[in-house]
Order: sequence, then structure tokens, then C-alpha cells
Amino acid sequence: MPQASSISVLVVDDQLTMRALIRNALQQIGFKDIREAPDGEEALKNLLAKPANLVISDFNMPKMDGLALLRAVRSHPPIRQTAFVMLTGRADRELVQRAVQFGVNNYCVKPFTVQGLKEKIEQVFGQLT
Amino acid sequence: MINRDPYPEEAGPAVKVHVTQGESHVSSDPNVVMTTVLGSCIAACLRDPTTGIGGMNHFLLPDAGDRKDGGDAVRYGAYAMELLINGLLKKGARRDRLEAKIFGGGKLFDGLSDVGASNAAFAERFLRDEGIPIVSSSTGGLSARRVEFWPASGRVRQRLVAVDNAPADVRRPMPAPMPAASSGDVDLF
Repeated sequence: MPQASSISVLVVDDQLTMRALIRNALQQIGFKDIREAPDGEEALKNLLAKPANLVISDFNMPKMDGLALLRAVRSHPPIRQTAFVMLTGRADRELVQRAVQFGVNNYCVKPFTVQGLKEKIEQVFGQLT
Repeated sequence: MINRDPYPEEAGPAVKVHVTQGESHVSSDPNVVMTTVLGSCIAACLRDPTTGIGGMNHFLLPDAGDRKDGGDAVRYGAYAMELLINGLLKKGARRDRLEAKIFGGGKLFDGLSDVGASNAAFAERFLRDEGIPIVSSSTGGLSARRVEFWPASGRVRQRLVAVDNAPADVRRPMPAPMPAASSGDVDLF
């Protein structure tokens, strides 16, 4: 069983409040290595400079949205294996289907719960300790 | 002395859009007026004054809205605000130009906690953290509020409504249920 504390996470969201909430939820789950980026462009730079094991990304963001970030991650060999969980709204069924085509590992519907987010991550990494 | 109305009458007949709890609506149509009735709930009216694109949401955090660091209530509130902001940006508003007017958060019944106050505190803190200035607000108090918002001009008209005259769902609003832990309807695996 993987340890949450050994998994590095990049949280990508244009809202500071949402990033803080996701960080807080991840800390409750047991993650310790958590970085943040305010949009896809910054996130890609961040990942290329220092890869992460998991990206948790919003969809609607300026400059580069979550779907474009996902495509970019999958097209850069050094980071293409990065686990990618997309945060979406309830009405974004079509978006999720497109994200699946581009290789998303899972998605989590906002407003998420800590337990809901944990389950989505565990579906990717296995049960976390 | 001539009293100039800073918000001249909007052209054409008004198209009323009622925004109920859990909803948000965005428009730049000068004929549109968004309306809502608030008790403990909050309505945030956000607008880009350059483009005249504006919108209103209407939400009620179930509890603990004053907690900064998490909790389902805060996540729900942040999501309600995000829906509105994303709707504005999709229409062409710019985030760095957004300004806000907030209403509601009244204390309409006796209880151990002042849900309205914590809802108002949440909205104020959210907007401050996101760098969106609050250009006017009317929160708290013991009355319900009937609010009308013209997104194109930014004009707002508020009328206080005695508790006894407010609709039942405004006097005793029920928070929107939080989603189940694994909500979602697209199977990936």
C-alpha cells in the first residue's frame, strides 16, 4: 500500500481559496509534499522543472485550462506518466469524456468531500496509508 | 439642485431572472434584471464594469462557514462562488476587473448559531482572498431582503422585508445537500 506522504502532488486551480481547500483536504488524507500552481501554464513549467507523482487540476483556468494541461503533460515524455485527477463541476460530463480520451486517470466532482477525493486518488494509486 | 440618477433607467422592458438558492446566472443584457429573496442566504453580485457582464448567485452554507481551512460547508461555498466566476469569465469578463456587491446573511430566527453571519463572513473572506473588491454590501440584520440586480449597469435595488412577510423557504432555508462521497456519473473504470 503506498504512503500518501511519499506521493508528491501539484494542485492546479486559479482560485486561491480552492487551492487552499484542496491542500487542506490532501493534508487530512496524509499528503505532505504539496505544491500549487494558479493555471495550466505555470503548472506545466513547474512539472517540467520538478516532476510530481500526482496532478490535481481544475478545468476552468486562464492561459491554459485543465484539459490543455492534461494534453501537454501526456505529450512531454519526462512527465507523461504523471497521475492526473481532474476536478470538474457536476455539469461537465462531456468534459470528462474528453479528458478520458486524453488520458486522465480519474476525476472528482466539485464540491468534493475529503473522503470523495481520497477515494478518487485511491482508485489510481491503491489504498493509501 | 438636480439629483442625477447614477443609474439611468435601463432601455427596453425588463426581463426578470429569478435566482433561487443553489443557482447562479450571468448576463450582459441591459434588459435583464436578476432578482432574489434572501434570509440567511447570501447573494453575491459580481460584475466586470468594462464589459457590463455581471452575474448573481444565491447560496447557503450548511454550517461552519467561518472555518477558513476546510470543511464541507466552505468547499460548497467556494464552489458556488467559482460557478459564478467561471460563468462570468466564459462570457468575456476579466477576473482582474471583477467587483462585488453582497447581500443577505440575516438572522431571521433565534438559534444557537448565527448562520447568516457566518455565511456573510465566508463571502467577505472569499472575495478578499481572491482579490475581488466589495464595492457595496448589505448583510446581517433581522429582516429578509428582496434584491434586484441589473448586471449591465451594476445597479442594485434592495428592499427589506419583515420576517413575517417573507416566503417560508426564506424564513427557514434548507442548505443544499452535500454530494455523496463518490458522486459523478461517468464511469472511467
